[in-house]
Parts: sequence; structure tokens; C-alpha cells
Amino acid sequence: MIYLNNAATSYPKPDKVINSINKALNALPSGQFRSGGIFSDDDLFSECRKKLGLVFGIKDVDRIFFSSGSTEGLNQILFGLGFKANEYLTTATEHNSVLRPLYNMGSGEPVIVPCDENGKVSPEDIRKSITHDTKAIVINHCSNVTGAVQDMDAIGQIAEEYRLCLILDCSQSAGCMELRIDDWNVSACAFTGHKSLMGIQGTGGFYIKKGIELKPLIYGGTGRDSRVIKYDGDYEYEAGTRNAPGTAGLSAALDFLLETRIDVIEKKERQLTDYFIAEISSIPGVRIFGKDIEKRGPVVSIGIDGVKPSDAAYILQNGYDIVTRSGLQCAPLIHKYIGAGEDGVLRFSFSYFTKEEELNAAIEGIKDIAMSAAG
Amino acid sequence: MIIDRRRSLESCTESGWDAEDLLTDAEIDDEFIHKLKRLDGSLIYMKALKKPFFKLEYHDYVIKGIKGDLFFRMAYHKDSKYKVDEAIKRLNEE
Repeated sequence: MIYLNNAATSYPKPDKVINSINKALNALPSGQFRSGGIFSDDDLFSECRKKLGLVFGIKDVDRIFFSSGSTEGLNQILFGLGFKANEYLTTATEHNSVLRPLYNMGSGEPVIVPCDENGKVSPEDIRKSITHDTKAIVINHCSNVTGAVQDMDAIGQIAEEYRLCLILDCSQSAGCMELRIDDWNVSACAFTGHKSLMGIQGTGGFYIKKGIELKPLIYGGTGRDSRVIKYDGDYEYEAGTRNAPGTAGLSAALDFLLETRIDVIEKKERQLTDYFIAEISSIPGVRIFGKDIEKRGPVVSIGIDGVKPSDAAYILQNGYDIVTRSGLQCAPLIHKYIGAGEDGVLRFSFSYFTKEEELNAAIEGIKDIAMSAAG
Repeated sequence: MIIDRRRSLESCTESGWDAEDLLTDAEIDDEFIHKLKRLDGSLIYMKALKKPFFKLEYHDYVIKGIKGDLFFRMAYHKDSKYKVDEAIKRLNEE
């Protein structure tokens, strides 16, 4: 089976990730700050935070907190800030992990900034959409539909100019391109471990800049200051037993990324993406959503005339042994702006481990489907 | 002949529909695909693919599959689950 659905979950994982999880599962469990044993998970989490700081461009690594992934991280940030929904300004490119928390806050609706046909959001459109109610900008760094990467230098400046919180969803960008969270004036960001960071499902986290306080979504045991039942503002964000095996895997994945170098990974994935786009551009009946993007992630979404994306995905999976993803990609608003229909798109997404021959198989499959549909 | 059914692991949840995979006792052939005409809907048959694809579409259900497979998928509006029973009955008739 050829796997081209890495924007959902990356596969395969580096060997060292699997080995590290295996080792963690076979090791004597230890409590997070809960025992005085020599096998302390504290080292594991601290080391992982340090590596995350390198990958994200965050100096204050103690402000990175682990969660089950971006969704939990974003919910924690968006609900924890205590703003009303209409005080958030967000974009048409967002995933439901941002849209659903905002639309279900029960306090109005967020301001939605449109994107262009490539999924790119104009910083000037963000500026124009700021109202006297706006307290925060929430933006998807890299679209999981078109791969468009937003101009965070410009958006960070706008946030600073208007003294707004800037919340960044790094789900699709972390691990496959340079991140400069501190430089971009980002107030908070969320990430998941199981996509380009090469870790496993159930890992991820969020960062909150010092001075910004969130009310926790989840309370419970942390192994620290157990006599304190009611917090006096000095909140903790990692309640309950942490995912030590998953974090061991994430830590090993970060080692892989740092050793391989993210610029090398980005270059390879860009070459694969450019090759794929060049090859399918000439196929009659194929439309690429987000073809003209200068800075992009390893994602290509297409439409094939006369074939629903879900049918094309079914044909590729069951007739050609190629796994893709069809539909709205959990990002329901962007499709109107990029010109996709209500059935969404057929998405191909690559990783550092994707091979050119795998792309060639997909290209042949697309050709067959397009020709067949054309009759 | 359809011998079993199971909830599809890849149901059409994003569209709000449900889906089931219907299992057959033999590889799906042209005769079986022809039988789909017994059901309401428009039939598309893409024969030129590496493995031919068929699809029958009606307003509240869609049937799709690959010739040679031992299963096909039936997606349906959440209020039309009974259409699966009807389809199995009609397709299993001699």
C-alpha cells in the first residue's frame, strides 16, 4: 500500500521512534514528580521540551505544555483565555479544531477573514478586519487543504501593533518547515506530535508566552503541591498521568528531525511536491487547488472533472493501493474560497519518507481516473 | 451473493451519512454489477481503470465498489438504513 495521507498522520515513523516507545514501555514506570526513584520521567519531559524549543524557536521552554495533540491544545488556549467568541479574529483556512471551539463558546461568532484561491490570507485583510472588540488573532500556519503557509512576519507585526494575542495552529507546519515562534510575537501556539513531527497519535502540546494566563480546561493530580486544592492563579496545565511512552517517541522523533535537519526535510518535501504538481498539471480534467503558492507545505489537493473526490479516493485505495484523503479535510470554510465544491477535494500529502516512484503510481492513477471520466 | 455486512471503517461521516461494507461470496463480476440496475439510481461503470469501478447513486444512498473485490460499500442517509436491507434482498434474488 502506498501511503499519501501524511497530513493526517505521518507514516512510516523513524525506527528510533518505534524503538524509543518500545524501550519506554518495557522500562519501569515512574510517576511524574511522584516518586523519588532514579527512573524519573521529569528528565524525559524536560528533554523533550528543550528539543521542542529548538524546533519551534521558543526560548522559554518551560512554557511548553504537553497535551493529547493540537485539538486539546487549541481548546485549552481558546477557552482558557476567557475571551468571547466575537473577540476572536480567525480565518477561512482554519481546521475545525479552531472553528468548533469558537462557534460553540456560546458568546457570538468569531470574525472570519477570507483567503484567496490558493488558501493564502492577506495580512492587510487581517488588519482591515480588526474591530474594537478584537482581542486575539487565531491563524493556521499551514493549510491542511492547499498547503499555503501564512506570512507570520507580517501577521506578527500586526498583532503587536494592535496589542492582540496571536494564536498559531502549527499542526501542519511543525516538523516540516522552520518555525520562529518567539520572533513572530506568537502569544500561544498548539502542535500535534503525529504529523510532520513524526511522533505518534495522542501526543502534542501547546505553548503560552510568559505573562499570559489561561484558565485550565482540566484539573487533577499533577504530583506537585498536592495540599493546594484551589489555585490562586498559578495554574498547572498537565493534570493526570502524562503520556510517557508517547513523549519518549516524540522526543526520539525530534532527535530524528534535528539530526536530519528541518531545512533538508523541507527541501526534499518541496521537491516531491513540485514534481507531483508539475506532472499532474498537464492531465486534462485535473484542477489543482493552491497551485500557485510560493511557500507551501507538502500537501496537494485536486479535483477531477466528473468524479467526486470520495470516489477518486475509493478508486485509488481499492484499485491502486494508494491511500489519500477526500472531502472537506475538517476545514469546512476554505472550500468556497479556493473554488472547490461541496464535496471538497482529493488530497495527497507527503513526508520525508515518500518516494518518487510512489508519486508516479499516484500520477498514473489520476491519469486513469481523469481519462475514464472524460470517456 | 451478499453474505455479510459490517459498518464501514471509512464511513462517510464528514457528509453526515453512514456506510456499510457488504461482503460477497465471490469476486464481484459484470453479472453482479448488472444486477445493480434492479435498484433505483443511476449507474456509472468505469471499465478502463486498472480495476473497474462501479457506482450507483440515488438521492439517499450510494453504492460503490471495484470489480474483482469481495465487498462493496453502501453509504446512506442516516434515515435510510432500511435501504441496505432492501438492496441485499433484491441483489440476492435469483
